[in-house]
Amino acid sequence: MAGPLAPTRTPETTVEEHFDLDRPWVTIVWNDPVNLMNYVTFVLQELFGYDEPTATTLMLQVHHEGKAIVSSGPRERMEHDTSRLHAYGLWASYQRDS
Amino acid sequence: MRPFRATRSGDVVARLDPAEAGVVGLLLDQLDQLLAADADDVAGDPVMARLLPDGHRGDPELAADYRELTESSLRSGKNDDLAIVRATLPDGGGEVRLDRDQAGAWLRTSNDLRLALGTRLDITEDTEPPEDVVGEQDQQLAVYYWLTALQGSLVDALADGRVGRR
Repeated sequence: MAGPLAPTRTPETTVEEHFDLDRPWVTIVWNDPVNLMNYVTFVLQELFGYDEPTATTLMLQVHHEGKAIVSSGPRERMEHDTSRLHAYGLWASYQRDS
Repeated sequence: MRPFRATRSGDVVARLDPAEAGVVGLLLDQLDQLLAADADDVAGDPVMARLLPDGHRGDPELAADYRELTESSLRSGKNDDLAIVRATLPDGGGEVRLDRDQAGAWLRTSNDLRLALGTRLDITEDTEPPEDVVGEQDQQLAVYYWLTALQGSLVDALADGRVGRR
């Protein structure tokens, strides 16, 4: 879409954008003592369309390692994913991938 | 209680004793009151912090952004779910029959009730159901584990239904 009026990109912004693409945002589910294992698996399938083995693997990662990344992408989408998980009571947050 | 199971029609069905339906009704009232409470009155309440958690850890500005963006829709979703559970809870006990959407409301609300009770009772992964119910703490623990059984059966029934639809 860039036309004659498009701002000229400085090398700095190009580098920064590249940096942003390399480090997307992620949504993380944290372990908590209340949410049931079958419930977490069910919710991950329901919200993200994961098949059962994938959702189970993620759930077990949450359970054993304390957390798992369940989605990644632009910040706005990770905010949205986090709020969908919060609607189901999962302990979730989003952050820049580290 | 007869736990939830999937039916051929796609509904899920359970049966609650009168006392069980009464307890669920009371818990719904408490959750309702908590959600309707003045923000100042429940500031710092760990149950509220668990029901409406921070979206971002470590960056208060992002966490505030997230709250502004999402809190009202999360709250209205909880209120809608509560209303559906109330409408489908048999007064005085009996059959609970839920379609897919109603089952989603029961799933989320029963989870909120467990989160609220679990937070108040300081549940950890090592907590076990009380062997003898003496005193109020044991009673609440017993209710917590009863809700756990109810919700667990609902998840299994819905997962069964999902397999059946394929």
